[in-house]
Amino acid sequence: MGDELLNLTIDGVRVSVPKGTLVIEAAKQAGVLVPHYCYHPGLPVAGLCRMCLVEIEKAPKLQIACATQAAEGMVVRTQSPQAKSGRMGVLELLLINHPLDCPICDQAGECELQDFTFQEGRPATRYSPHYAKRFNPVEDFGPDVLYVPNRCILCTRCVRFMEDVAKEPVLNVSERGDRAYIGIHSEGRLDHPWAGNVVDLCPVGSLLSKDFLHKARAWELDKTASICTGCSQGCNVTLDTRENVIVRVRPRSNLEVNRFFICDHGRMNYRWMNRGDRIEAPLVRRGGELHATDWDEALDFVASRMRGAGGRAVALVSPRVSTEALFFARELFRGLEWSGAFQVVMGEEAPLAGVPNLALRAERAPNASGAELLGYSREYAAAVATAETAAVVLVLDEPDIAVRTAGALIYVGTVLPERARDAQAVLPIANVAEEEGTYVNRDGRVQRYFQAKSAPGMARPAWWVFSELVTALSGGPGGHVGTAAEAFDRLAASVEAFRGLSYAQLGFGGAPTPVATVVPA
Amino acid sequence: MAIGVKVMKRPGAEISYLRATLKGMALTLSHLWRPKVTMQYPEEKSSKDWTLSPRWRGTHRMLTDEQGRAKCVACGLCPQICPANCIKLVPGEDEQGNRYPLIYEIDEFRCVFCGYCQEVCPEEAIHVGVHYENSEYSRDRFVYDLERLCAQTHPVSTLWDPSDPKGE
Repeated sequence: MGDELLNLTIDGVRVSVPKGTLVIEAAKQAGVLVPHYCYHPGLPVAGLCRMCLVEIEKAPKLQIACATQAAEGMVVRTQSPQAKSGRMGVLELLLINHPLDCPICDQAGECELQDFTFQEGRPATRYSPHYAKRFNPVEDFGPDVLYVPNRCILCTRCVRFMEDVAKEPVLNVSERGDRAYIGIHSEGRLDHPWAGNVVDLCPVGSLLSKDFLHKARAWELDKTASICTGCSQGCNVTLDTRENVIVRVRPRSNLEVNRFFICDHGRMNYRWMNRGDRIEAPLVRRGGELHATDWDEALDFVASRMRGAGGRAVALVSPRVSTEALFFARELFRGLEWSGAFQVVMGEEAPLAGVPNLALRAERAPNASGAELLGYSREYAAAVATAETAAVVLVLDEPDIAVRTAGALIYVGTVLPERARDAQAVLPIANVAEEEGTYVNRDGRVQRYFQAKSAPGMARPAWWVFSELVTALSGGPGGHVGTAAEAFDRLAASVEAFRGLSYAQLGFGGAPTPVATVVPA
Repeated sequence: MAIGVKVMKRPGAEISYLRATLKGMALTLSHLWRPKVTMQYPEEKSSKDWTLSPRWRGTHRMLTDEQGRAKCVACGLCPQICPANCIKLVPGEDEQGNRYPLIYEIDEFRCVFCGYCQEVCPEEAIHVGVHYENSEYSRDRFVYDLERLCAQTHPVSTLWDPSDPKGE
């Protein structure tokens, strides 16, 4: 494999693919999506739904594109009358027992059965309206998964995921023929930490997420590329937003990081992004009390406190804020005696057995590597102790601060914890869903996340807040930073670890830092 | 310089209004013996010559099942198709675990009475009604909630049937 390229023709388009490529993947290169149900690039090939029938010259019958390897000189026709009528027949059989309950099905709008039936199915059924469709009651499979057997088309993606990827074979196909359904082990539960992926894999609405059940229709959702904040793995995700509220997290494929999957911890880790008790205006201490004010005054206030401060400065930062914010927070202390630290919440590690170097990591911090690359240390307790005597203490979105200081405490965060009420100034910032920025995952890969919803009130991205402060303090060499791209380019220009990277080049898939070293798993 | 005004000399029969007045009176009197077309509206709402069209699109009505519950399954198609964006729907579950609208409100002031909601409804639940008397004492009464939509009793519209364009 690898170097050797094969040339074939698909629907009149000539493509070159490496040896061993399946026809269905080669067709994607030719810009043709062959309808399919059982095939999924992240799972072993089963070839049982028969949906991807295509005509291949010199083959006696229609072939399934998902289990046929490309060969030199092959001529494939996916849209010939014969292939289309073959697929139409398969669809008709799949629809015999499929209920007509699209209006109440959560999959409606993103259902492959709907899409392909609309695309090339029969316009009307040939079955009698009196035919009683197969009926089985809804089953509870696990903490977040419901099974609706009536809608199932038995593609077995869920069975193969649990068996070959999660390596916990609790699902199977029970019974035979038209009585077949997906069965669960009599003592088993679908409670594997990665089991939620079967919901995404299901091409129809047979496996449903209890968390998302009846919450929104697929066409109401705005989809935004983001990075999971659940751990230091940095899985690529899509945030689904409805009316400025995040309602669902789904995996976004990135072959370098998470392939097609995310764990259930990351999938459920979105409610905090919708918190209502946010700081909406900058607060400054005047006459012993915090008063709401505008950004101009708040930035002047903080800058004047910092300008007057001689002595030690301490930054206690969260490993959940963007790399750009961490960079500008560090720039703020240029010329001062400075120390920065972050603390990492630890949890249980949960690997996905079938995919190398993919796990829910014990370190529940999406940007711990970014903080380390920028010179923040893990000595959090020591930094808290130093903070007691420091002249300026900056706390960046760390809600459980246990810091007591004689100096000026500046709290920059999304919500206002009780302890932060002693601060000299409180500046509101946007959370990960409300701004653009980058994270560096545990393997040193810099990945961008995008804005999914609007920030409350006057909250601004943390990199903007710190860059304005830096400009105010230094008299502004380099000027104001207006976009996340400019913020990142400033970071890349001045930090060795990010040298040579540009924001545009990171794209949706991210790129490794020049100094990236793969941490052994 | 004064402007000279030319005074027309007309025959006496033309200057007199008597003739025209009598002519008008005669027309008015002749209507006393003609058939009546006026309907006594608030008392009388239809007559043998005029009824509201069965295709009339007026204020909405939600149809109910045998247990008196709305037939709506909260599929979300009517708020999606509504060109005036007047339908608010929050889906949820009822006691049996079936999909059911938690909130279903139609703002009749925003509604343009196009009837698309009825046309798109897969459950034949929401309908526009053959009804036109909608006066209220306050504006907020024009946002109809699910309870009120279910309580309406007026007949529902048949809409326009493409296979029977003249309604015959």
